[in-house]
Amino acid sequence: MERHSDSDITIRPLDISDSEDFINLYADEKVRKFSSRDAFTSKEAAIEYFMSTDIPHPWIRAICLSGRPVGSISVSPFYGTEKCRAELGYVVASDCWGRGIATAAVKMAAKAVFVDWGHLERLEAVVDVENPGSQRVMEKVGFKREGVLRKYYLLKGRPRDAVIFSLLSTDDPLS
Amino acid sequence: MAENTTENHKRSSKISLRPIQLSHIDDFMVWATDDRVSQYCIWDTYTSKVQALDFIKNNAMPHPWFRVICVENRAVGSISVSPNSGNDSCRGELGYVLAYEHWGKGVATKVVKMVVSSIFREWPHLERLEAYVDANNKGSQRVLEKAGFIREAVLRKHRIIKGISRDMVVFSILSSDQHLDS
Repeated sequence: MERHSDSDITIRPLDISDSEDFINLYADEKVRKFSSRDAFTSKEAAIEYFMSTDIPHPWIRAICLSGRPVGSISVSPFYGTEKCRAELGYVVASDCWGRGIATAAVKMAAKAVFVDWGHLERLEAVVDVENPGSQRVMEKVGFKREGVLRKYYLLKGRPRDAVIFSLLSTDDPLS
Repeated sequence: MAENTTENHKRSSKISLRPIQLSHIDDFMVWATDDRVSQYCIWDTYTSKVQALDFIKNNAMPHPWFRVICVENRAVGSISVSPNSGNDSCRGELGYVLAYEHWGKGVATKVVKMVVSSIFREWPHLERLEAYVDANNKGSQRVLEKAGFIREAVLRKHRIIKGISRDMVVFSILSSDQHLDS
């Protein structure tokens, strides 16, 4: 199992030239398995989604390995009485799994978003119960596993149980 | 919110759920202006009738599922189920509020059970009814447990109540869990 030095793994803002890499990322069946994104019907539709949804996202970064985009990580804010929290999500190309890339990216993104959003107190992640890989990533970064939410969300139209994790701005891994 | 443990407090006081009307304003003001009632709620104590009428007209009346809780034809609180959209549409969030005078009589437990027994039939796509309760609000936690909800987790610093982020306990009942014997 190849591991890369963390310095090979970087996160950076998206660029419109990333559209091709994003399309390939989501064309990957293994990536789509736990993604809420459906397969696009055409390349044009995929580019349209990238431009209209990914590019303007409130907080999104490309995950790069030696400068090459291999995934993306985003933090979606909540509003009003829920603005103390935000939800983390990420995808990594399946041929890059098992190399510590997601773990490194989540650590970097968590540190960065708490700096960018001073009002943020809680970063949470909702992980499908049948996605042990991502559950392990959360645990390795230092997120706390809080419980299982039953039939919490729909994945490809089916209700799924999900594990909820959280990292607080005051939690240890960030200090 | 304390619940009586003795069962013999079950009078035949008629409890019903009804659509809210502007004419409920005076009853609404009784619980909405009470700090003891708003303490664990995400809304701040109401300070004027204008503010309350605005809520009734622009929030409560157009709400997808909102009812006043009536005891002997008098509105003493409200209960609602808020739907979600898209990939979250399998779940709805329950919320309720009850005038202080009616605490400890089993009213909240009764109305929550009433909602549970009808909402899954009214919204066939609903799989999960959830509720988020301040970790310090032991009374409401007991109401949900008695109504058959399962306590799933404590979510740290999940919601802002009265300006401070709070730990919230999340409870749920599934369409496949619920018993129809309320």
